[in-house]
Amino acid sequence: MRRQHFFLLLALVVLCSHDLYIKMESYFLEPNQQATLQLYNGTFEKSENTITRDRMLDASITAHGKKVAIDPAQWEDQDSTITKVTFQARKAGTYLAGVSTKARNIELTAKKFNDYLKHDGVLDILQQREKDNLLDQDAVESYEKHVKAIYQVGDVKTTDWNTALGYPIEFVPQANPYEKYSGESITVQLLLDGKPLPNQLVYADYIKNNDTHSHGDHSHEHKHDNKKHTHSHDSEHQHSHKSNSGEAHTHTNGQQLRSNDQGLVTVNLPEEGVYYLRTIYMVNVADHNELTHRSKWATLTFEVSHKHGSDTHTHDHDGDEFPMWIFVLGSLVIIGILFFVFRKKN
Amino acid sequence: MHTHLKKLFFLLLVFLPFLGFAHGVTSSDQELLRNGGLWAYIQVGATHMLTGYDHLLFLAGVVFFLNSFKDILKFITVFTIGHCITLIGATYMGITANEHLVDAVIALSVLYKGFENLGGFKKLKVSSPNLLLMILLFGLIHGFGLATRLQSFDMGEGQFLAKILCFNLGVELGQVLALIPIVFVISLSRKHRQFTAFYKAVNWYLVLAGIGLFVYQIHSYFQGH
Repeated sequence: MRRQHFFLLLALVVLCSHDLYIKMESYFLEPNQQATLQLYNGTFEKSENTITRDRMLDASITAHGKKVAIDPAQWEDQDSTITKVTFQARKAGTYLAGVSTKARNIELTAKKFNDYLKHDGVLDILQQREKDNLLDQDAVESYEKHVKAIYQVGDVKTTDWNTALGYPIEFVPQANPYEKYSGESITVQLLLDGKPLPNQLVYADYIKNNDTHSHGDHSHEHKHDNKKHTHSHDSEHQHSHKSNSGEAHTHTNGQQLRSNDQGLVTVNLPEEGVYYLRTIYMVNVADHNELTHRSKWATLTFEVSHKHGSDTHTHDHDGDEFPMWIFVLGSLVIIGILFFVFRKKN
Repeated sequence: MHTHLKKLFFLLLVFLPFLGFAHGVTSSDQELLRNGGLWAYIQVGATHMLTGYDHLLFLAGVVFFLNSFKDILKFITVFTIGHCITLIGATYMGITANEHLVDAVIALSVLYKGFENLGGFKKLKVSSPNLLLMILLFGLIHGFGLATRLQSFDMGEGQFLAKILCFNLGVELGQVLALIPIVFVISLSRKHRQFTAFYKAVNWYLVLAGIGLFVYQIHSYFQGH
């Protein structure tokens, strides 16, 4: 029993960093509906820290060809873990929200740094350290986070989803996520300083609709205890995870993808739900007095529904109504049949 | 097959791909409106009319009932006045309704026209309502449908009235373009000795199409909202 507790405690001490996501209760809004953008700084399911306004280099909403900055005064802390902004959705269209934060430094012991690389899926750097026999070297890392979310207001689809916000690293979808449905896939391009980033590990996962938490078949329980935590990529607070099975939680659940030469990854969308992509691009720093590594983090969030659901429903004389040619052809056939019936009668 | 009938089917086949080509896409319409200025509103208005089969069916029903060009001009003018009032007025004042419900009423107008053309009121021994008044009423309803459609787009800022008027102008242009083949085909069919059968076939089709579109819109309303 003691032995079990020991391993459980050991698992609790496993460390993870803080991803940043723009999260909404629903990514489908009606025009003029009031909605909230929440900054989740931790995992997609649980935020651990707020984001101070002075850290935000950019916070904006892009729609109908215009990028509008979110007034810093509009941000408020919901509690000690979530920063949010409440706004009113405007006209129908596909909207893009973006938040970019300043770089910060963090000092990590060799062990903590290795653990973080492992659990956050920065595997290329970890392998490099192993290969170079540098696993025992402490690290000083500069990190910065650049996150985006795409949401749909009303039925009209517009093209702002493909806007590159000019962040140091960012995901740019190659199709409107709101014209993609469960059972399909979406291709997303990863840009580093505006150029395609090849051979980069990207993780994609989703939360099923109406579920509070889902990574397929298992669930996680998060524990937070300052005594047990030793670092976080966001200063004051620290966190760790353990699953019900006692296994260490990682940030690499879901699909593990690697970008191709054009920086493209294709994400499967097996079910309805909120999808999130994350990546950490890290490089070794050789010519710096203090830093050993520099990382740029990116996430992208959007929601996927089924093809004929109310959320995706559009109505007009084109859109989801049956195609014009079927209507015309069907009409001609019916008129033709009726014509021959009435001719015979006459 | 009689020459007129051959011509008739030839014309229908000629216009078939035209209608298919004119079929627009909502997102591309939105993009066009965003980037194309006032001209885009004319274009989208015309496209919407040309691809809006409920409007076209109703117009076909109106034209079928009328014999002289003068009558056609009179009734179409009344229909146009009707839809201009609600299209411009409702859009300008921001009055809108659920598109499915509005389109369900428009579908009923198609059903009504087929029913009236087939002498439905006479058979029921009921005096039919004033035709011109009904056309005005249906014009108002069709215009409200167009207004609802226009308001589903982001019209941006500035030149609001000009944009509505340009969309309206496009609708009228689309209507004229649609009426040319409709009037031509119906006029040609009148010379055919099987016109009665054709008349009945088309108007029964309007009744069926009206019912079908009505059911479709109501179903979509309950499924989608």
